[in-house]
Amino acid sequence: MKTSEYVTRMVVLVACLCFCISLTAAHSAEPIVLGVPTPLKTDWGYDSANAIQLAVEEINAKGGVKVGAEKKPLKVVVADTRDMDPATPAHDALMAAEKIILQEKPQAILVGFGRSEVFMAGMDLIAKHKIPYIGSYATTHMFQQQYAKDPEKYKYLFRASADAIVSARAVTDALDYLKQEYGLGKVYFMPQDTLLSKGFNGVLKGHCEKTGWNIAGWEAIASDATDFSSVLTKAKDAKAQVICTFWDVAQSGTILLKQWTSMKIPALFVGFVVGANSPRGWEFLGQDIEYSIHTEAPIGSAIPLTKLPKTKQFVEAFVKKFGKQRGTWLTGASYETPYILSGAIERAGTLDPEKVVAEIEKTDYIGVTGRIRFDKNHQVPYGTDPQETSLCLAYQWQKGKMVPIYPPGIAEGKVLLPPWMK
Amino acid sequence: MSLLIYGLIQSVILMLYGYGFSLVYGVSGIANFAHGGLYILGGFAAWSFMNYLGFPYAVAAVLSVLVLGLFGFGLYWGILVRIRGIVLSELVVTFVAGIAILEILAWKGLYGFYYNLPVFVRGDITLSGITVDYQRLIVLGAGALLALALRLFVHHTRVGLCFRGIAQDERTALSLGIESDWIGALSMAFGSALAALAAILILPLGVMEAHIGYEVVIYAVTVAIVGGLESTSGMILASFIIGFGQIMVAKYIGSSWMVIVPLAAIVFILAVRPSGLFGKFKELEERI
Repeated sequence: MKTSEYVTRMVVLVACLCFCISLTAAHSAEPIVLGVPTPLKTDWGYDSANAIQLAVEEINAKGGVKVGAEKKPLKVVVADTRDMDPATPAHDALMAAEKIILQEKPQAILVGFGRSEVFMAGMDLIAKHKIPYIGSYATTHMFQQQYAKDPEKYKYLFRASADAIVSARAVTDALDYLKQEYGLGKVYFMPQDTLLSKGFNGVLKGHCEKTGWNIAGWEAIASDATDFSSVLTKAKDAKAQVICTFWDVAQSGTILLKQWTSMKIPALFVGFVVGANSPRGWEFLGQDIEYSIHTEAPIGSAIPLTKLPKTKQFVEAFVKKFGKQRGTWLTGASYETPYILSGAIERAGTLDPEKVVAEIEKTDYIGVTGRIRFDKNHQVPYGTDPQETSLCLAYQWQKGKMVPIYPPGIAEGKVLLPPWMK
Repeated sequence: MSLLIYGLIQSVILMLYGYGFSLVYGVSGIANFAHGGLYILGGFAAWSFMNYLGFPYAVAAVLSVLVLGLFGFGLYWGILVRIRGIVLSELVVTFVAGIAILEILAWKGLYGFYYNLPVFVRGDITLSGITVDYQRLIVLGAGALLALALRLFVHHTRVGLCFRGIAQDERTALSLGIESDWIGALSMAFGSALAALAAILILPLGVMEAHIGYEVVIYAVTVAIVGGLESTSGMILASFIIGFGQIMVAKYIGSSWMVIVPLAAIVFILAVRPSGLFGKFKELEERI
């Protein structure tokens, strides 16, 4: 063997050894624990936990998170809060979150509570433990109001997902489009009797009142309702042309949607129903969901968009690792939360929560949901331009496919009316 | 017209929830709080026969009813026979069995919208301007047929007469050679099979989730209490009162108040007539 060849081989060997040692050092360092207490039995919680896992693996594969001079791996600890189960009291969900905080001593909480009522109650719990919390599940707009009441106390709380008002805006814009293109002008609201759903529908109603829609009715319905014939008949009798709702309980929401189809209510179904709001909706619920219009909030959660390649990359990586997503909400935002946190830790150079929180506030980059930064109330702003804000979209089920119909910049199809409306 | 049609359907759905519970209590005196668990287990069994073993829906449905019948029979001989007559123990055991079934199914993934039973026939019919799907009409017809079949069964078959004998006076029935444990086990088998049958008829209207079982047992207990715990006729009447009450409340007051109707009915009946509409359980005490 020539001397030069020998030297080259030795250099490669030493380089490999150094690389292995550096990897080992990074992975033998005390990990940064990320607590993910969330309702795991829901599609959003399940997908979100997987999205976090995917992001953490990507970050660890690059050596982990640089904390000062040291690189530390991320470690995820999940706990099921079950707060989306109708029978789970808020107290139980809070206890599940506090248990993970006390036992696992995480450096941050990601995703977090599902039910908005629990999240609102949990804000004080997080403030008490002074731990950074980047939520991506509960979507009540009351978070910002509560934060604004005492920013110093609630400074540890952030939200990467869209709030109910923003998610509703994707629908209001779709409604404007329906009014303009198809002359539909009468709407009936059927919110689920929860803060989130009534907030969501309230935004839609406010918009419709301002934009000349005729409000045919508003009726809140219990989350565990088993029959919707009365309210659907009321909508039909009132000659509603659009039915708006937001329904996040599968057992009753699917009955509502199936009954809308079976009773042939001559009104377009617009809003959100868990199940129909899933890439697997057609596979399991079939043609009962055809023509219904739903939202993806934020983008990058399940629908690969031709015009935004980052959404495609994430969805493909997720599907490759875990199979098809279960929901079209939140997953994109959840995926970004480890990146938001690791960026803040690297900039802070420490795990000190006070310094990390200050750095999370300075977050600003383009992720799968669009541009990610936080406003003065610790909420990621949402709009229609991915270079300026994060985005939501509206889509319609057409022959088994989720076709994006709004915003126009990323739309890939037009709205179709059900045959019994023609 | 909508109120009449959908009031009837809602009433029959409640009646189907209540049949199994009412039968078991009426015959053996066991308040079977596992009823909701057995309901979902019945639906899941049918789904499993179709999806894991590839059976046609009709075969899977019949098999699930039979399997649940055997399960109920086994539940009686395996556990309940040892504590028969100790009311509190019966209640605790059935309650725990129900929770165990539902929580195990939830743990195995029976939540969300992934588990569906298909409708028997797809399509709909318009009656006086009100469109109703065939599945709901099948529920209506099946409920009426079941009421008739059960009446014929308990009045004109040997086992049915034994059921009535034990229900009326267990000691006298024993002296006539009717073995109460066998009848108790059979009542559990019938009750469980009826829970499975209800699941196969009703679950295609929505999706199958484990915690639906909790609502089913609440409704079953409600119609049984309001009708009179040991009275099937009372249970049927209570189903119609609550079913129509729910649809009327939804129509005239608001859909969010529907869930109040069964609770209000229980409170009212316990205050006015604790034995229920047709119950005789505490009739003597009430008179005193």
